[in-house]
Amino acid sequence: MTAAWKAAGLTYNRYLAVAARVVRRSLKDDKRLAAERRGEMDLKFTKWTNGKQGEPQSVADANAAAYTERANASS
Amino acid sequence: MLSRAARPALRAGAAVSSRAVAPSAATFATLREIEGRLKSIRNIEKITKTMKIVASTKLTRAQRGMTESRKYGETSNEVYKSAETAAVEGEGKKKLVVVCSSDKGLCGGIHSGLSRFIRRQALTDAKFDLVILGEKCRSQLSRTNAKNIVLSFSGVGKDIPTFADAQAIADQIVQLPGEYSEVEIVYNKFINATSYEPATIEAFSEESLANSPNFSTFEVEESQLSNLREYGLANSLYWALAEGHACEISARRNAMDNASKNAGEMINKYQILFNRTRQAVITSELVEIITGATASEDM
Repeated sequence: MTAAWKAAGLTYNRYLAVAARVVRRSLKDDKRLAAERRGEMDLKFTKWTNGKQGEPQSVADANAAAYTERANASS
Repeated sequence: MLSRAARPALRAGAAVSSRAVAPSAATFATLREIEGRLKSIRNIEKITKTMKIVASTKLTRAQRGMTESRKYGETSNEVYKSAETAAVEGEGKKKLVVVCSSDKGLCGGIHSGLSRFIRRQALTDAKFDLVILGEKCRSQLSRTNAKNIVLSFSGVGKDIPTFADAQAIADQIVQLPGEYSEVEIVYNKFINATSYEPATIEAFSEESLANSPNFSTFEVEESQLSNLREYGLANSLYWALAEGHACEISARRNAMDNASKNAGEMINKYQILFNRTRQAVITSELVEIITGATASEDM
């Protein structure tokens, strides 16, 4: 049996991140602000082919695109 | 002034004559020059001192993050240790090397230490792909090992790395095309406040997890292995990032400490030189006035 999040195209890490975000958001205001800072991610990445650098992309966008793609493929 | 490039034969002679002339002819000019240089060194000292203070305050937080993440990563690796997992030696399978540096410089040799470690490894075994976290190692390794690089991340190390960072990076690495026998994470191991060395953490592939001798005792279902692998990768990355970050901050503190010390020494030296030159200028002016006065008295 595959879990629902797997069928939706998420990776285990993404599943954990979403769960963690929900927990953080349900905290009280003062604790929540400190906790939400731990959940921030602002990375960029670049693909390289044959020693040539490609265009920099945002990791969050690329990951989200990959999830939807996998969700479409599995359904 | 003779053109030095055009007449190399005269270089020695020209150098000697200019050196002999310079001090006496240029005292007035150098007084102002020394003053300007003193001012700029003082400004640099201010900057390096401030950077040192900033790094010192960040250091305690970074170190706390490091000890926590280390415990976390070690606990996660405990599973592999008790399962006696080893990398599968497969033909045509590549190793993936993840280098954890950061975007910022001015922290001594910690980034070039990692780059050198990779280059040394490339000499013995050239069959690996590189994933680079951070701008600094990217620019260093793109000069020598550009062919091996498959991914590079930037925006690492602005603040203490979060687990969300590690997860996003792990997700991207998992999506890479091509099978890798193992993932090796290269980071700076924190030994004490002044020394650190490049070290590696291994993250294993599903295949090596399934083949490890004692793995059956954990009773993990086959379908869960890929989850374990992804999660383990994120754990190890988080550990490496946090420890690398702490190393970087402490290295920056030391580098800035040294820079301020050197600037202080230079300020002392230039202050003395400045005073001497000023004194010399005053003395020579006095001598000129007195000789002028005695000469006109005699007339």
